Amino acid sequence: MSISGFRYLTKQGLSNIARNKLMSFASIGVLTACLVITGVAALMSLNVGKFVDYLGAQNKVIVYLKLDADDATIESAKQAIGGVPNILSSTYVSKEDALNETKSWISGYDNGAYANVLDGYEGDNNPLYASFRVTVDDLSKIKDTVAELAKLPGVDFVDAPSDLAGTLVSLKRAVNIGGWGLVAVLAAVSLVVIHNTIRITVFARRKEINIMKFVGATNGFIRLPFLVEGTAIGLISAALAFGVVSGAYIGVLEAVSRAGTGWLSSLYFTIVDYNSVWSLLLGVFLVSGALIGGVGSAASIRRHLKV
Amino acid sequence: MIEFKGVKKEYPGGNVALDDFNLRIDRGEFVFVLGHSGAGKSTFLKLILHEEMATEGKIVVNGYDFTRIKNRQIPYMRRSLGVVFQDFRLIPTMTAYENVAFAMRVTNVPERRIRSRVPYVLNLVGLQDRARSYPAEMSGGEQQRIALARALVHSPPIIIADEPTGNIDPELSVEIMELLCAISKVGTTVVVVTHEQELAAQFHQRTVYIDKGRVVSDSCPVPSRPTFLAHGTGEASR
Repeated sequence: MSISGFRYLTKQGLSNIARNKLMSFASIGVLTACLVITGVAALMSLNVGKFVDYLGAQNKVIVYLKLDADDATIESAKQAIGGVPNILSSTYVSKEDALNETKSWISGYDNGAYANVLDGYEGDNNPLYASFRVTVDDLSKIKDTVAELAKLPGVDFVDAPSDLAGTLVSLKRAVNIGGWGLVAVLAAVSLVVIHNTIRITVFARRKEINIMKFVGATNGFIRLPFLVEGTAIGLISAALAFGVVSGAYIGVLEAVSRAGTGWLSSLYFTIVDYNSVWSLLLGVFLVSGALIGGVGSAASIRRHLKV
Repeated sequence: MIEFKGVKKEYPGGNVALDDFNLRIDRGEFVFVLGHSGAGKSTFLKLILHEEMATEGKIVVNGYDFTRIKNRQIPYMRRSLGVVFQDFRLIPTMTAYENVAFAMRVTNVPERRIRSRVPYVLNLVGLQDRARSYPAEMSGGEQQRIALARALVHSPPIIIADEPTGNIDPELSVEIMELLCAISKVGTTVVVVTHEQELAAQFHQRTVYIDKGRVVSDSCPVPSRPTFLAHGTGEASR
């Protein structure tokens, strides 16, 4: 095909969008709606996943050291904990720190009625354990990590929220399978709806295709304007869907940031940042929009080319 | 040019439209194919256009043997035909100019050549002033002439006209037939499929009668020069 022929067919494809206003509008509307729904489902899935990760990070494993552990034992335990795999971070809490924390907690209870109940337990009388508060990386491996920590020298026992960790791991798996499964189902439904919309568009122009065939147009010559038209419709829909989803997402982020206090404000740090997700969202929308529109319309005319 | 040898066409359901159909049309001939409704004229056209395939027999059009033709060759075979359909088959979203130019565009003709050739052909059919009009804005006769211009524009070796005068007034019918006759004089094969015996009789050309799917009569042209040829028709008559 010559360059002028290619240019002509591309121009034809683009001007067909304006010529077939109603069907173009319907196709753009359906494709935009499908991309918005799929995009929202994907963002929700990403956020729920991140929230579950956040919850997991809040649950610390506490490695209690023996009551008679001296500074050397504490130091060697610290080194040993650093060498255990699956450890994200560890913080040392001395016996004194533990006592102060407990005092602080008790003094806040029942209007300070028991504020002095721990007086006299300082120094050698302190019955509390020095400990390391450890955050694990992968909650699904928490049992193995706890077993390794328990074997370390100077360690008396390890307290770990193993049941909760199991629940969170299951929850994350459910979010992954359910969330992305939902995205896949929505994407499949979108494909069917868009395919049908394009088929209707093409069916309305079957006479045109038929005429092209009888004046000797090759299948490629007939298909190219439809491919251009479909791709352009896909890209327009992708841009619109990106605008809608981005606007809504930024709106939610602002609402959460303005919440001040309460549970809503605590969500702010667990929400996936817009800056880290917009390029992915735009890329996926543009690629899927162009593919669905272009390939969808080129495939839909195949039936009408058999003349 | 066009050869049908022992052609049979049976549609699903058992309706036999053509049976043992034999016809040969050579280069430069002007042939009327006459027949009543249901005689097999439409099937004859569909087979030439490869819109339908023969159940039996051999069809050769412009050197393309339909028993051996590959799918990718069909567009090129069709480009060697200029077809004027009874229902015009103009693309409604294109102007008259674009409809005519389209037949050249599919053959990758350079834009400069299209810009000079299309106005010439529109002028030939007397519609140079309607170049920017859409089919819906034109009368049946005008649409018919645009369809004729489209068939002529790339100078195909064969022109096939299906009831070319079916939708136009008698005066214009004669004009269109004159144009087709003039085209055949320069070596283009013209096949006019019609049911109008009176029209065919006016032009003293080879006339093939079809009935019940067979050629029942094939008369030679009367050796006389129709008066209309004296007028001349521009490029096609040179």
